[in-house]
Amino acid sequence: MSDQRIQIGGLTLQNPVLTASGTFGYGLEYDDFYDVATLGGICTKGLSREPRYGNPPERICETPAGMLNAIGLANVGVEFFCKEKLPVLRERGVTVVANIFASSVEDFVAITERLESETGVAAIELNVSCPNVSKGGIEFGRDPKLAAQVTAACKAATKLPLWVKMSPEAGDIVGVAKACEDAGADAVTAINTIRGMSIDTSTGRVRLANRTGGLSGPALRPIALRIVWDLVGALKIPVIGIGGVFTTEDAVEFMLAGASAVQVGTANFSDPLAANKIRLGIAEYCAARGLTASQLIGRGRPEGA
Amino acid sequence: MPDPSSLTKSRTPRRQVTAPLLRRDSMGNAYHVLTFDLPEGMEALPGQFAMVRGAEWGDAPLLPRPMSFLTGGNRPSILIKVFGEGTIRMARAIPGEPFEILGPLGNTWPAVSPGKRPLLVAGGVGVAPLLYLARELSSAGEKPIAVYGGRSHRDLPLNEELADVSELYITTEDGSRGAAGRVTLPLPELLSDDVEVFTCGPDRMMAAVAELCAAKGIRCIASLETPMACGYGVCLGCPVKRAGGGYLYACTDGPCIDATSIDWGEGNHAPRRVERGER
Repeated sequence: MSDQRIQIGGLTLQNPVLTASGTFGYGLEYDDFYDVATLGGICTKGLSREPRYGNPPERICETPAGMLNAIGLANVGVEFFCKEKLPVLRERGVTVVANIFASSVEDFVAITERLESETGVAAIELNVSCPNVSKGGIEFGRDPKLAAQVTAACKAATKLPLWVKMSPEAGDIVGVAKACEDAGADAVTAINTIRGMSIDTSTGRVRLANRTGGLSGPALRPIALRIVWDLVGALKIPVIGIGGVFTTEDAVEFMLAGASAVQVGTANFSDPLAANKIRLGIAEYCAARGLTASQLIGRGRPEGA
Repeated sequence: MPDPSSLTKSRTPRRQVTAPLLRRDSMGNAYHVLTFDLPEGMEALPGQFAMVRGAEWGDAPLLPRPMSFLTGGNRPSILIKVFGEGTIRMARAIPGEPFEILGPLGNTWPAVSPGKRPLLVAGGVGVAPLLYLARELSSAGEKPIAVYGGRSHRDLPLNEELADVSELYITTEDGSRGAAGRVTLPLPELLSDDVEVFTCGPDRMMAAVAELCAAKGIRCIASLETPMACGYGVCLGCPVKRAGGGYLYACTDGPCIDATSIDWGEGNHAPRRVERGER
C-alpha cells in the first residue's frame, strides 16, 4: 500500500480525497454507505452566522453532463453546527473542513472565531465564490483587494489553516489567488461553479426560480483543470482541485496538473460511494506505479512549469 | 429549519447496488414497468422510492431519477412514463442491463387511523405508490376506495390492477373512460368524516385534493414529486414550501407528508420541470 498522506500547509491529510461543500451535507448523512472518516476530509455545507432557508424551488436542473443548482446556501448556521454536528464528527474521527460564507468581513470573522473556539475543525474554507445569493459571496471572490481583506481578517482570527475557494468568474483568478496567498491563505480551492441558465422550451420558462444557477459536473472539468494548472504555476501555496471529479482518472488528472488534493462534489449525487471509490482508486493507481500520492502532484507538468 | 417528518421513517438501511433489469413491460402510450433483481435487504415499503440510473449511461444523463416503488420485495418494480433523456433510456432498456439502484429512500405512507377508510386519489404515474399501498391494504382485508384520473383512457396505466384491489372510480378529462372531468370530480361525494385521503399525482392535482380535504377537516397525505439530485438529504434540491414558512425536503421529510404542513401556493407548483414519471 503506497503512502497516501498529503501535506496541505501545516495540515496532513491521510489521503488526497475530500468531499466538496454543498454536496455532502454535514457528513452524517452517509452512515448507511461508508465510514467517512476514511476520507482525506469532508467540507461541510457552507455555514453562515445565522441559519438560512435557502432559495425557493426550483433549485436544480440537469444540463448536458452537468447540473445547475441555486440552493442559496441553505444551512443550519454555525452555532447549530458546532453544537449538534461537530461533536459527532469529532467522535468519529472525521477530518472536518468547515466551509463558511458571509456577506460582510465582520460576519466572516465572527464565524471564524466561533469555529476557532471548537476542537475538531481541521481547516476553514472561505466561500468567497457562491454565485447564487444576492448579497455577499462572489463579489469577495472577484476582487483581489476584497478577497485579500477577507482572508487577512479571518487569518488574524484563527490559528486553523485557511483555504480560500476561488470563483472561476474572477476576471483575473490568478490575481485573486495571489492576493489571498499574500494575505495569509494556506491553500486555495479551485473552482466553484460557473453561473449558467436553462429554459424549458415546453413551458417557455426559465427552469430555476433564481434564474441562474451554478454549473457543476463533468461539463466543468476541463475549465477547472486549466484554472488549477494556471494557479499551480503561479502560487507557492497548495491548490486543491475541484470540478467534475467523477472517477479515479479525473482525480489523478487534477493531481498530475499539480493539485495537492481533490474535492468530489456532484459525483456524490450520482453515486453516494463515489468519493470512497476514488480514494481507493488513487491508492491503486499509485501502488501500480510505485508512487506515493504526493509524488503524483504536478507529475504531469513539464520541468519548471 | 425543517423538522423531521412526523411520519414513518425508512426501516431498511439504504444501499446503492448495481442490479440487472429483470424485465420491462410496456403498458402502452409511453408507460413502462421496469422490474429489477435486487439483493436481499433492500425491501421497500409502500410510499418509499429509489434513485435509479443506468450503470452504463456515462456522463449524460448524469443524475439518477427518483422513482416510487410500485412493488416491494427483492424484485421490485417502478412505473415510468417516457418524457426526457432518462426515461427514454429506461424505456429502451433490455433485460440484464445493469442499473444503479439506491434505496429504499424516504418515509412510507402512514398507517390509516383506526375507524377510517382509506381513499386513494391518483393522477398519472402517481398511481405507482398508491397501487402498492392499495395492494397492501387489500391483502390486510381493508379494501380502499380509489379515484384515478388521466387525460384520456390511454393515461391510466395499471387501472385494471388497481380495480382488483380497490373500489375504483375513474375520471378522464376527455371523457373517453369513466366520468368526464378531473380526478377531483367525484371527491365531494366521497369525502366524508369516515375517510382518510392518500394522494399522489401532479402538484396542481394534489393541491386541489388538499384544499377539498382541508375544507372538510379530513386528513390528507400527499406523496410529493419534485426534482432531486441525491435522494438522501444532501443536495437540498427538493424543497417544498412549508405552511408557515421555510421548506420541507421531499426526500428526507417525505415523500409522504401531511398536506396541511405544505404551503400549496403558486411557488410549489410551477410548470413541471421533472420528467414525467419521475417523482
